[in-house]
Formats: sequence, structure tokens, C-alpha cells
Amino acid sequence: MGKKKCVAMLLAGGKGSRLNVLTKDLAKPAVPFGGKYRIIDFTLSNCSNSGIDTVGVLTQYQPLLLNSYIGIGSTWDLDRKNGGVTVLPPYSESSEVKWYTGTASAIYQNLNYLKHYQPDYILILSGDHIYKMNYESMLEYHIEKRADVSISVIEVPWIEAGRFGIMNTNEEMRITEFEEKPANPKNNLASMGIYIFSWNILKEYLEMDARNPDSSHDFGKDVIPLLLEQKKKLFAYPFKGYWKDVGTVQSLWEANMDLLKEDCELDLFDPSWKIYSVNPNQPPQYISPAASVSESLINEGCTIEGEIDHSVLFQGVVVGKGTLIKDSVIMPDSIIGENCCIEKAIVPCDVTIPDGTVICSMDDEIILVMNEMLSCLKPAVKQPY
Amino acid sequence: MRRKLLGIIDATSYHEDLEDLITHRSLAALPFSGRYRVIDFVLSSMVNSGIRSVAIFPKMQYRSLMDHLGSGKNWDLNRKRDGLFFFPSSIVDYHENRIGSFDLFAANMDYFSRSTQEYAIISNCYTIFNMNYKPILESHIHSECDITEVHNKDGGSMEMYLVKTSFLMDLIKNKNETGYSCMRDVVRDPQSQYKICHYLYNGYAVMIDSIESYFNTSMNLLQPEVWKKLFLKDQPILTKVKDEPPTKYIKGASVKNSMVANGCQISGTVENSIISRGVTIGKGAVVRNSIIMQKCVIEDNCHLDSVIMDKDVRVEAGAHLNGTDQAPFVVRKGTKQGALMNS
Repeated sequence: MGKKKCVAMLLAGGKGSRLNVLTKDLAKPAVPFGGKYRIIDFTLSNCSNSGIDTVGVLTQYQPLLLNSYIGIGSTWDLDRKNGGVTVLPPYSESSEVKWYTGTASAIYQNLNYLKHYQPDYILILSGDHIYKMNYESMLEYHIEKRADVSISVIEVPWIEAGRFGIMNTNEEMRITEFEEKPANPKNNLASMGIYIFSWNILKEYLEMDARNPDSSHDFGKDVIPLLLEQKKKLFAYPFKGYWKDVGTVQSLWEANMDLLKEDCELDLFDPSWKIYSVNPNQPPQYISPAASVSESLINEGCTIEGEIDHSVLFQGVVVGKGTLIKDSVIMPDSIIGENCCIEKAIVPCDVTIPDGTVICSMDDEIILVMNEMLSCLKPAVKQPY
Repeated sequence: MRRKLLGIIDATSYHEDLEDLITHRSLAALPFSGRYRVIDFVLSSMVNSGIRSVAIFPKMQYRSLMDHLGSGKNWDLNRKRDGLFFFPSSIVDYHENRIGSFDLFAANMDYFSRSTQEYAIISNCYTIFNMNYKPILESHIHSECDITEVHNKDGGSMEMYLVKTSFLMDLIKNKNETGYSCMRDVVRDPQSQYKICHYLYNGYAVMIDSIESYFNTSMNLLQPEVWKKLFLKDQPILTKVKDEPPTKYIKGASVKNSMVANGCQISGTVENSIISRGVTIGKGAVVRNSIIMQKCVIEDNCHLDSVIMDKDVRVEAGAHLNGTDQAPFVVRKGTKQGALMNS
């Protein structure tokens, strides 16, 4: 295999348990987002658009759908003769099966994959975030700073800084300290979980970490603190733009709603930075004479006879007459009957909602509609998620 | 089926009445129904019927057709064995609308002789339908016919013919002796020595051969009972993938009785219309009874009624364009329509 300057390792094994039924049968990176996409489309499209053509995708939790979704990577133009996408599940060695116990151990167990390509730099990504980013610019920054490790950071509101891993930096953006969820944050630069390592440093520290029986084998908890302790050159790469962790039902809903803003920071319509996705190949959406649609994103294959207000509808959704859908996300192939009212809810894939069902939130909490909920309740469903 | 049937699509057709829409593209590549080209219907029907080797005979102006079909990947026809084949015609002054011209086939005899498929279906490229060819093949084999011609429910020919590949090769080889120049000649000859059968196709099928039929067929598609006959879940019409985002309806948009493809941004009013991929419709703009093709930009406060707008047209703010349902106003590809050019 030919040498590569930079190889990306995409951590896609996350369980995303806070997403409840949405991740019951699939890994978090495969959760549908934005009317057409799955969460991992953003990272894979970023790789493709940044000119990174060699991507190892590390899967572990419920990988079936994710593996078949990624396929040979042709959706993201990552089916290459040399490089391309390789799905890297945990594997067994002669003595034992080695599950990925942490982010660092997942990469450590695939050092052989990396050695094939003799990369100078390794880009470590997570498949859980919604953002558009040019990794090539970050790599240039890493090279320019002669860094051992570069960590992408984003300014978060001071009031929320305590929820993130915060990087304290000097005026040259060199990282002096890393604090996980600090009670009294000294800075508001949050780690985005995107790292560029120079190859030698990565290899050396992963091997060191693997030998440490007390380590939890996590980049944030173990490897980065160790690197700082040993005075390695860690730089923060400031990212500006839209970035969102969609780890909860609330944040997944919010990120979908963000797309409906007229001046949405995350521009899905930019032809120079397309977000690629496996195409469902369905006919155009049909909006009936009785329908009305406002402030919404609707994908192909939908049949709309009701009122859609400020909502995101995935492919193949059917909405019956007299139904109102407001501030909601309806995932692929769900069928909403007639005279329903759905407000502030997420309806997962392939759910059929009977005629006359009312789903609305009594407080501000987002309702995640579940089949059990529909089968046991009479037409008036009013139950928070 | 894979071993049995060759698909042959004659994409040389030209209909003068469609001139405004096909000056720079083959009729086969005419956009239809928001995200398709007319050839998608026959090609998808073939692929969904299990046909794995398709030969396309295009003529002049085949750039857009080639661009659309590419390697055949979107139809799963980029195969090591069989797949999609192009045989552009070398005959320049070829004008007649003869579906299945033996002269075209004769220039590419190797394709027929190298194929292992025992039967061949020869079809025109401009019918809007979604057909399964398997019953036709069964009927053909069962009836021991030489040629099975597909007829629509009014008894008219659909210009689709099923034959044994070896029989087709004989027709091509003997074209000078027999005087037959195309499949139509053979089936129309009252003295024909061959056994000609008809297969009645009861499903939806419309041939696009004029602006009127293009416009009416498109408008009829807005009736759910019509589009439900074409767009079947287990027999999808496949087309080139564009990676457009879902369509965004902006505050103030009002859309009724319309088909809208992906990648559009709609702020204005749309009624009884077909909006293709990547179209922008500005604030206060009104589009009625119209077909708007890919990537058109209709700026604020325009009024469009009964318009067929080809790709990449920009309509400047405040412009009014009106046709009638008998004579829709056709706007050529890539033009700019100003507010002062009211028609």
C-alpha cells in the first residue's frame, strides 16, 4: 500500500444511550439527522471535501446498519484503489478477543492498519458531531506550529463551559492545561474531540498507555493529560462555525431545528462543501392541494396532505389530511394518520401513528415517540419522554 | 432473466415539436417529473425486470445523455460482465424516427453476437411508464411468436418489440434482401412471413412526442392516482444521484398541489407545478401551472403561469411570464428573463 501523508481514524463505536430507542438497534453515528443524513455523513463528507482519502472507521456497538451504510465508501467518493474507507471492528487474537475499551485502545489495536500507510499525521475524529470543517487547514496549522498534537477547540458560552473538556492555553494557543468539566472554568475553549497527532508521538504514547494497567485508555482522560505532563507540544486549533454534539434527544432536536433558521450557520446548500449521504432514490415530494408547509425541510418521497410547520421530515414520510406537525422531526418512512397533532416530538423510523393521535409536550421537554406509547394509549397521548 | 433478455434502447428519436427543449440534448435526456430524464423510465423498467445488459443507441447531442448515465452505476449496470453499452451512431444524416433501425444495429453486430442472452427487447426511449418485462417474455416464449409487439390499452403500438436475439441478427444481416429497415417495417408488412403477436399492456404509458404531450403528461402527474402508478416502491424509477439537501420551505412559502424535488429553496407561492432539483423561488414570487427544471432561479415577486422553464434559467425580480395550457410558454436553457421582457 502506498504511503499517505494523513490518515483519518473515525471513532464510530458510540452507543449513545441517552438517545434511547433511537440507538436501540444502531450505533449513534448512524442516527438519522437533518431530513436526509445520518450523523456520520458530516464527518465522512468533511474528510472527502478536505482531500483525506484514507479513513479507518472504528465500529463496535450495533455495527450492522452502520457497516452496510458505509459499504465501500462510494457515497462519499471514498472508494479508492489505494486507501479509501476501511471498517475496523474489534477482532480476536490468538489468546483473546479485544473489545475497544476506550478511544485510545481502539486506535492502539489498529496500529497495524496505520502502519500499512506509513502516515506522517493521524487525524482522530468522532462520528457523533454535526459540523463542517476543513481538516486540511487544521493539518496546515499543525505543521506550521510544529506541534506534537493539535486539538480542535471551539469557543462555548462561559456559562456552559463547565459541561465540556476545557483547554487552557497561552497566547500562542499552546495548551497548558486540560480540565474535564471544570467547576470554575478558566477558559471557554472546549475540545471538539478532533485531534491531529504526529505519527511517532501517537505510536509512542499509545504503546505507553496500553502498558499502563491503571489507564482507562481514553484520549481525553489519559493520553492528553500524560502528554501535557511530559511537556509535549500541544496546540489548540480554534474552529469557528457551527458545531453540535447531538448526544441527547434534546440536542438532536435542537440541531434539527437549527437547520430551519433562514440564516442557518450550517449551510447544507453550499455546492462547494456538499454533505454526501446514501441516496434513498425516491420520487419528488408531493404536496397536496389541502397541504400547507412553512419553515420546514422535507425530503423526497414524502406525501404531505396536512400542515407542516417548522419541522424536519425525512424521506418516505406520509402525513394525512387535517394533521398538524409542528416543531417536530419525523424520521424515514413513518406514517402519520389523519387529524393528528404532533408538537415538539421526534418520531423514529417506520412508526405508524393512528388517525386522531395527539402528541404534545406539557412542559418544554421533547417527546420521543415510542411504539409502546402508541399501543397502550388512546388517541390522546400526553406523556413526556 | 439475466441470461435471457438483452435490453436495447433506441435513443435516436427526434420530434420537431419538442425543438425548444431538445436542441442541445437528446430526447432521451429530456428532464421529466422534477428529478428524472425520460430514459430513466425504460431503463429502470429493464433493470427492475432483471435485465443486466443494456445497449443504448444515441445520436447527435448525446453529451447530456452520457453525462446522465455515466457508467450505469445508478442503475447497478456498472458490471464486470454485461452492463451498460453505448453505441453512438456514425450515420450523421439520419432523420427518420424509426425505432430499432437495422442500419444502426448493423454497425454494432459484435454486441449482438457476443451476447449470450437468448432474447432481446427493443424499445423507444421516450415512453413514461413502469413496466415489468418478464410477463412479455413468458408470453413470447409460450406463443412461439417471431416478434411480440407491445400494445397499449387503446391498441396502439408502444414501439417495443421482443424477439429472439438470433432472429434479430438475421433481420439485420438480411436487411438489404428483405427491404426491412427497422422493426416497425417488419411488423407493418401485410405480407410478412413471420408470426407477429401483440402483447396488451394495460398499465400507464404515455409517449412524449410534443410540447403538448410533455406538458399534459407532466400536469397529470400531479394526480395521486397517476403518480402512484409510476412510482412503485418495489420497482423504483432510478436516476442520477445529485446529493442535494432536502428542500427548504422558508417562512411565507405556500405550496399546493405540486411535486417538488430535493435541493430547492422556496419562499414564494407554488401551485399546480413541478419543481425540479435545486430551484430557488424568491419571496412574493408566484409559480402556477408550470414546469421548472433544474437549478432555475426565480427572483422575488415574479409571476409565472403555464411556463415550461428549461434548466439554469434566471428570471429577474418582478418579471411576468405567461403561457396558456394549450400553448405553454417555453423558456430555453440557460437564458435570463428580465422584468422588461414580459411576454
